[in-house]
Amino acid sequence: MQTALTLHRHKLLIIAALLLASVLANWYFGHAKPWASIDWLDVVGEGGSALALGVWLILILASRPTGRVTDLLSLGLGFMFLAFCQDVVDEFIRLPNSQWWEQGLENIAMPLGISLLTYGLFHWHGEQLAINEQLKKRERVFREHRMLDRLTQIGKVDYLKKQIQQVMHQQQELPLTLLMIDVDNFHQQSRLYGHRESDRLLHEISELLLLNLRDGDLICRYGGDRFAVLLPETPEEKARQIAFELQQAVRFFAFKLQANGETCYQRIHIGLSCLYQVAQSPGIEQQMDDFLRSANQQLAAMRLSGQVA
Amino acid sequence: MAELKPDVDMKPTLSWQEADQASIAAHWQPALLIDLLIARDFSSHHILRGSGIFYEDIVTGQQRISANQLLQLISNARRLDEADLSFRWGNHALPGHCGCFSQLLASAVSLRDFLTLLTRYHRVFSPLLVPHRYEDQHSVYVYWLPASGLGEHHAFLTEVAMTSVVSACQWFYGQRLPWRFAFAHPAPNHIEQYWLNLGEAIQFEAGMDMMKIDRAWLDKPFQQHNSPISQTAHQVLEQECQRQWQADYHSPLLPEAVYQWLMAHIQQPNSLEQVAQAFAMSPATFKRKLKKHQVHFQAIQDRARLQTSVYLLYVRGWTNEQVADYLNFNDTTNFRRAFKRWCGLTPSDSKYLLSLV
Repeated sequence: MQTALTLHRHKLLIIAALLLASVLANWYFGHAKPWASIDWLDVVGEGGSALALGVWLILILASRPTGRVTDLLSLGLGFMFLAFCQDVVDEFIRLPNSQWWEQGLENIAMPLGISLLTYGLFHWHGEQLAINEQLKKRERVFREHRMLDRLTQIGKVDYLKKQIQQVMHQQQELPLTLLMIDVDNFHQQSRLYGHRESDRLLHEISELLLLNLRDGDLICRYGGDRFAVLLPETPEEKARQIAFELQQAVRFFAFKLQANGETCYQRIHIGLSCLYQVAQSPGIEQQMDDFLRSANQQLAAMRLSGQVA
Repeated sequence: MAELKPDVDMKPTLSWQEADQASIAAHWQPALLIDLLIARDFSSHHILRGSGIFYEDIVTGQQRISANQLLQLISNARRLDEADLSFRWGNHALPGHCGCFSQLLASAVSLRDFLTLLTRYHRVFSPLLVPHRYEDQHSVYVYWLPASGLGEHHAFLTEVAMTSVVSACQWFYGQRLPWRFAFAHPAPNHIEQYWLNLGEAIQFEAGMDMMKIDRAWLDKPFQQHNSPISQTAHQVLEQECQRQWQADYHSPLLPEAVYQWLMAHIQQPNSLEQVAQAFAMSPATFKRKLKKHQVHFQAIQDRARLQTSVYLLYVRGWTNEQVADYLNFNDTTNFRRAFKRWCGLTPSDSKYLLSLV
């Protein structure tokens, strides 16, 4: 959070300076209200709103790179924050009439802030659509960042399971085919080249697999060096063809070692399981486990027989 | 390091150390954990927060950390990283980069050799879990017992320990060995990691943490990547390890020392007061020191009795009556009840579960 916020140091400084200036101006020009005439309900309500806006501002800044959308969002929230702060100060200090800056803070900052925020959100929507395009094949229908694998930036096994369950519940997009993929000699390579290189290998292979999938397919990291690919509305023959293409793609992928630039060619094995219909019993959970197990078993069998899919 | 005066009826000296004494070389196993996290873009500041360890000190190669600091480090690491951290750690932990010890371990020529060295210098390779090896006519068993109270990190550390042995065997034999596993903890959410890293022959809630393999593997020579050395060089290396072990790693943590003492006197009815006396402490000090290690005397005693019973029942093939008699229980009913309290299973259930393993 600290490092993320340093990117936006200037914006935060400006807002803090404006806040300080308005408090000092109030202090200088106004008179304190007697305790009895302070409306504490207003103080709590307006103070709470100001606090919440401050938190939103920090969260947004800490989670975004710099750029136009960030500027708009933070300016909008910043003005709203200042307006609420002025409201809170008003509860304690009575200003003589016609202070131009006070009028400005009360009557202009809020609508201006709201307009900027709205305009910013409009652009954020466009930005999000562009990002969604990039995230295709990494996520389907629902998003849950807690199920994202940190290394490869694709879903983890719980995300995969959720997706399979969803298809099974809705009984649409059948036949559903699952590919289980693992990298040959991964254990050996990770020992030989170290954990950093093997991390990079997994990351690059996941990118490569992504490139060779259709829109609507989903790739997840099952664990270790095993990836799972979910192919909706794909009968077995079609899935075999995709599996073959994935194997070809990896075969011609020249992974370069960072230490000496040498090439390490990779192979993958793929196990496949295909779901044509969802039975009444056993339960969805059980059928999903069977579905996963069958793909894993087929992968093990492929490995034993040295076959390609 | 506390030295004990020789007791009349026990081994001449007994030394132990406490969980806040700096004893673990920071640039060996702890550094590997730190490096795994740094490789995933976590800052050393976050990884070491609150542990009192500084990255600059680790790099000097002189820094030693206490068991408590290692536990704090593990706690930070687990908060940052994902479910596969223990397995990634285990996959690179052995033979590892622990100076002459790793060099010696990498010179092993067979599983027997490897396990002998691992258990002899266990505190270097696995500072918080102690491997114990048993054999019967069919199998080799490696039990992992905590060296101190490990709290919520117990299951995590057993994952690291078992993966490290499995992974090293796979490296040296060029294939995954048919190890079979029993874990005390229930099946976790990330069960797929177990299947991928250990295999599918796993029983959970089995009352103990144990791995076993057909003893035919013991003397099969390693196939690759080990570096056997000349006998002379081997002797020199072994001496160097002995020297460093005596100097830095000889003393167990207090709970492990108590466990060892109880195992050596398992047939006596040992009360807390007697054991405290053997360790030259007042019962109050003894209790307080154990509490500092997050264990109770009773728990250590239960573990010692459980381990003895399991050994006698399954490895030596004794009956419940014989074991009950050996451990001074009045009858088998009492023994069965106690056994269930120790590990959550009756002797027969436990035997059945372990026969599946």
